[in-house]
Amino acid sequence: MDILRQLDRAPILNTSITLLVPLALLAALTALLGDLLLERIVTAMFIHLIVVTGLQMFMGNSGIVSFAHIGFMGIGAYATVLFSLDPEVKAMTLRHLYEFLKPVHLPFWAALLFGTGIGTVVAAIISYPLMRLHDAAAVITSFAVLVVLHDVMVHWTEVTNGPRTLFGVERETFLWNSALCAMIGLVFATWFRESKVGLQLRASRDDRMAAQAVGINMLAVRWLGFVLMCGYAAFAGGLFAHFITSFQPRQFYLAEVFVVLAMLVIGGPGSVSGAVVGTVLVTALREGLRVGEAQLNIMQIFGGQVVGLTEFLLAISMIAILIFRPAGLMRGRELRLPLGRTTAAPRRSR
Amino acid sequence: MLRLEDVHAQYGAIVALHGVSIDVREGELVALIGANGAGKSTLLSTIAGVLRPHQGRIEFRGESLVGLVPERIVRRGLAMVPENREIFPALTVEENLRLGAYIRKDRDEFQADLEHMFALFPILQERFTQPAGTLSGGEQQQLAIARALMSHPDLLMLDEPSLGLAPKIVEQVFELIQHLHEDGMTILLVEQNVSLSLEIADRAYVLNMGAVQAAGTPAELRENVDLASVYLGGVG
Amino acid sequence: MSNVGAILQFTIDVLSLGSLYALMALGLVIIYGILRLVNFAYGELIMVVGYALFLLSPTPLPWLVMGLLAVLVSIMTAYLTERIAFRPLRERSLTAVLITSFAVSTMLQNAAMLFVSPRARVVPLPEIFTVQVIIAERIVPLRNLIAIGVSIALLALFALLLKRTILGIALRAAADKFMMTRMLGIPANLVIGTAFAISGLLAGTVALFWFGRTGSVTPEIGLWPLLVAFVSTVIGGMRSLLGAVVGGYVLALIQMTFSNFLPPELLEFRVTFVFTLVIFILLFRPEGLIRGR
Repeated sequence: MDILRQLDRAPILNTSITLLVPLALLAALTALLGDLLLERIVTAMFIHLIVVTGLQMFMGNSGIVSFAHIGFMGIGAYATVLFSLDPEVKAMTLRHLYEFLKPVHLPFWAALLFGTGIGTVVAAIISYPLMRLHDAAAVITSFAVLVVLHDVMVHWTEVTNGPRTLFGVERETFLWNSALCAMIGLVFATWFRESKVGLQLRASRDDRMAAQAVGINMLAVRWLGFVLMCGYAAFAGGLFAHFITSFQPRQFYLAEVFVVLAMLVIGGPGSVSGAVVGTVLVTALREGLRVGEAQLNIMQIFGGQVVGLTEFLLAISMIAILIFRPAGLMRGRELRLPLGRTTAAPRRSR
Repeated sequence: MLRLEDVHAQYGAIVALHGVSIDVREGELVALIGANGAGKSTLLSTIAGVLRPHQGRIEFRGESLVGLVPERIVRRGLAMVPENREIFPALTVEENLRLGAYIRKDRDEFQADLEHMFALFPILQERFTQPAGTLSGGEQQQLAIARALMSHPDLLMLDEPSLGLAPKIVEQVFELIQHLHEDGMTILLVEQNVSLSLEIADRAYVLNMGAVQAAGTPAELRENVDLASVYLGGVG
Repeated sequence: MSNVGAILQFTIDVLSLGSLYALMALGLVIIYGILRLVNFAYGELIMVVGYALFLLSPTPLPWLVMGLLAVLVSIMTAYLTERIAFRPLRERSLTAVLITSFAVSTMLQNAAMLFVSPRARVVPLPEIFTVQVIIAERIVPLRNLIAIGVSIALLALFALLLKRTILGIALRAAADKFMMTRMLGIPANLVIGTAFAISGLLAGTVALFWFGRTGSVTPEIGLWPLLVAFVSTVIGGMRSLLGAVVGGYVLALIQMTFSNFLPPELLEFRVTFVFTLVIFILLFRPEGLIRGR
């Protein structure tokens, strides 16, 4: 069939469909089942998927590990909320807020856009000079950036309510809009991977010298990838804020970094499909383990509260994958619909 | 002493050796000549255990070397002087030599070996306590060879010893290699410098694109093979 | 008169904190120099010492013995993490090992939460850590002076090891060209195992003095020491052992300066200030302060 042959020749479209259809089905099924808990789990999963996809775009293509993006997720969350909170609620929850910010009130999507914009701009400014650092120093510095961002969130009480919970956020993020945003994000990421910038980024990972010799501007390419990743994270942060309706700075710190990293690594950082597979799998794993942990606590088997079992087992799984299947479950390949090769269509290399 | 049979090896994504078979008998000086990229260094790296061949046999004194780590291979009696010398510039000449003698356990032997090295390479005695990075290119080459000899090898492998050295120094280095050979050392020499290699070698192999193109004594090769084109990268 | 005292106190503070930072950084850069591994699990060695001391505290052992055992635990942990988690990945990409070390770090922290407690636990300390001396009319905790002394001793010992022993020479060579070192017959496992053991020893020693300041251990206690080690190493230029040591003192100087001279409203942001300054330093000197070799 003509359509099938077209799909065979258009890997981006092929992958997008292959990824989106199951996800859409999942969302539809969840909506149909009507179970509130499941809906929450799946919504949270889609929000995570946005962050993980962003991480894939930078880390998967450039090979550089980043820790800072979660900090920008936090910036996105706090910045969005600053604009979206009803002024009366704002006065209660952010008591020491600057005067000029008190009356500002935007509808949800506008606030989200502004919040994402602020996060992205800050990311762009902070990260540009850091692109000159070579790989190990870059990773360490991104770690330091995460710590700084967290420190700012904890201490800038005027804007964030400090280490305490910021409450009173309207629930605006639901299954349908988180799923939609995640899917749009996926399509873009799939395109990005094969785009000029994406290919340049991947070239610079495999052989830096050769890439520079061919005229690839390493600094610019990496910077773009990093900013995109932080943009995704900031957007997800805004969505997250309006999903969970109350949050603290510690939720944008190392624990979250680990979960997101686990999702990408287990799925395989080399492809967007890896991001999807990893996110779905790890979400399922965590929820399953959480139930198990709760049961153990109820049954008092260990004579008290069992804390940290989920993360402990997740960490072990991650180490196992890294040792036995280092490119992740997807091995860096994209999912494609296996459409039979017609004799006329030449085989497209990956 | 050393035998390679049908060795296939890869360097990254590039298949560098396609079924190479060579032979080095005790006391011989065998040269491997060929252009850049012909696979000569890959071959030595494979023998030394840095690369693992995915096919073929490598035997030293009848025992297989395949799969052994580099630390073990030097203990079997093969020492390598790599391309670019790879001396440790921040360490002194003395420290470089001490490392070379790591697998030898005897203190007195170390002293005797040092005396022997000083006789062969007087400049090393002069610069004994200086950081190796302050030595000239030719001196570093001498240090690299001395360091390899400290392990009392049965077979010495030299990877492009003439690389980056002035012609006069190159001649000195080759005189040295010839001298070692006359003293009884078995030597496998990889070189781009065809004429000098053939002057001192007992036998030679011509490598091209990862395979042995020709083999024989220097006289045979000079007669049958277009050596100029070997140097440029292809055998007529 | 009091100005001299203030300066002296400041100097001792910087030197004692800097000594701990320097040792911490050294333990990290040893591993990095040889393996190019950014070891995220390094901070957890501090945590492990804390829990070891906590678990040993009901025993009648004198503190010195407990301390030594705790340091031994640190060395063992360092060695075991290499053996179990890092060795299988030795030929793999540096990114993979880095991520693995992060996973190991998370695993260890959560293991502490699971098997000991998520809450803070008190760490037993020796009597001598409570002693204070008067210098130039200023009160100085004796343990700070001890920290300086012990650090200098350890650094001297380490320098001696590197210069005079064949193992030390091998370590220096391995940090320069690892494969060439192996081609001379020096076993990779020996070099790497030694490097990890040394990092365990250094972190363990730092831990003893670290708990002298904080008094209790939590699962997250390793984060700040890890950051310190990281940042000191980067300031010093990632390849240089000397650079890491200098970086540690520099970081302590920056931190104490901000702590003492920031206006009260900004004091709580000192972490931000310290690291922002560091990032600035890296802007102008991405290779670090010390030209590495």
